[in-house]
Amino acid sequence: MTAAQVRRVVWVHGDSLSVTDPALSACPDAPALFVFDRPFLQAVPVAFPRLAFMYQGVRDLAAHRPGPTELRVGAVPDELAAFAAAHHAAELHVTRNFTPDFARIVDGLRAARPDLRVVIHEPERLTSFDGPLRRFFGFWKKVEREVLHGEPAPDFPRRGHR
Amino acid sequence: MTDALRLPPDLPDDQLPRVLGEALTGLYTGEPRLPARAGGRTAGLAALHAWTGEGYAGRNFLGGNVSRLSMYLRHGMLGLREVAAHARAVMRGRERDEFLRQLTWAEFYRLVLRQEGARVLGNLEDPKYPARWTGTLPDDVRGARTGLPCADAWVTHLIRDGWLHNHERLWFAAYLVHWRGVDWRAGYALFREHLLDGDIANNALSWQWVASTFSNKPYFMNQENIDRFSGGRWCRTCRAACPFRASYGELETQLFGTQP
Ligand SMILES: Cc1cc2nc3c(=O)[nH]c(=O)nc-3n(C[C@H](O)[C@H](O)[C@H](O)COP(=O)(O)OP(=O)(O)OC[C@H]3O[C@@H](n4cnc5c(N)ncnc54)[C@H](O)[C@@H]3O)c2cc1C
Repeated sequence: MTAAQVRRVVWVHGDSLSVTDPALSACPDAPALFVFDRPFLQAVPVAFPRLAFMYQGVRDLAAHRPGPTELRVGAVPDELAAFAAAHHAAELHVTRNFTPDFARIVDGLRAARPDLRVVIHEPERLTSFDGPLRRFFGFWKKVEREVLHGEPAPDFPRRGHR
Repeated sequence: MTDALRLPPDLPDDQLPRVLGEALTGLYTGEPRLPARAGGRTAGLAALHAWTGEGYAGRNFLGGNVSRLSMYLRHGMLGLREVAAHARAVMRGRERDEFLRQLTWAEFYRLVLRQEGARVLGNLEDPKYPARWTGTLPDDVRGARTGLPCADAWVTHLIRDGWLHNHERLWFAAYLVHWRGVDWRAGYALFREHLLDGDIANNALSWQWVASTFSNKPYFMNQENIDRFSGGRWCRTCRAACPFRASYGELETQLFGTQP
């Protein structure tokens, strides 16, 4: 089967509320789902304006992408599994974030749907630095040139190169 | 099928608080109301394009021209790269460099989160002074009833606007952790509840930076600093017994038990 024939859905989460999100850009026509995470919100207090801000983010991307965008309230892995099943999807695309919740949800989804291929896109980066970190000052010295001029230092190994 | 609730993706703003409020019953704090700034990439791009960065050199003053783009960056409505590109195009000289350096803190904290994972929610290092912190947020702080006009204003701004100037965040964090002896995690939770830009990386790691569990020394301020960078906003008319009115040396001894 070619890539075009594989049925895909996209998971839109709270760090990816833009049409420019890598997973959404990779699958512009695929159905996308955003879930207000019920168990999480029951455990962690969040004031309403923040949730409305996120809703406005989903609304904006729904209005700007060719594919359909849905919103639900529930447990994220369950909703994603049901959404993928309803669309007969073989792949679910998402952009990685580094929160512990992200890893928990992906694990939950993989356990619920071992047959569903989860394709994780890497988030955009400001720098190409990949070494260990400790203090900002040391980090800044390494990335200063790249950030100020928009290009990596000549002696800096580019990502993807050996 | 799941017992999920579905929501239309095209609610206009005037219906949003009511309909979203009902759908999310029991899942939020406070009143259902619109955020002080509109969410979404379109609104984020408008804010980005309207921002020239002029006067960013005064960014440490509460009246200084900062971008207020953090909530758009936090939710991916804007990307760090495009904000950096905008700054390179419209800003000049030292102001531009300073802005790009601040933006790089956000990248740094994201990468620290990638490196440390859930460990960022606990002390990454021992505090650099003999700290004895209590875990709960005092009621007078949460209710903006400390009797200190400045501290009460920081909490009021936080809840009303979902955004605080960086200096207000620093002052509030130092007040809570060092003067009130509260564990930074209680402040982190209050910020996470109310900030439109509240996240794990910037929020937890900034608190740890103030608390000295992710820095070489605790951050603190004195009354002169608050007066200067707030343009005298609270101090001029203040009648409270000011806990911040002393030299840095005196406060250091009082708060951390070390000689200046
Ligand atoms: C206790 C405490 C908690 C904080 N919690 C958060 C948080 O939850 N989310 C958050 O985004 N920022 C947090 N910050 C960092 C900083 O205060 C805000 O990013 C900044 O005030 C946002 O305003 P701005 O967009 O106008 O910033 P500008 O000065 O215009 O800077 C542009 C962008 O650079 C980044 N940036 C600037 N300063 C910092 C900084 N000190 N640390 C990290 N990134 C920075 C932000 O992405 C910001 O939007 C916290 C700071 C403190 C002291």
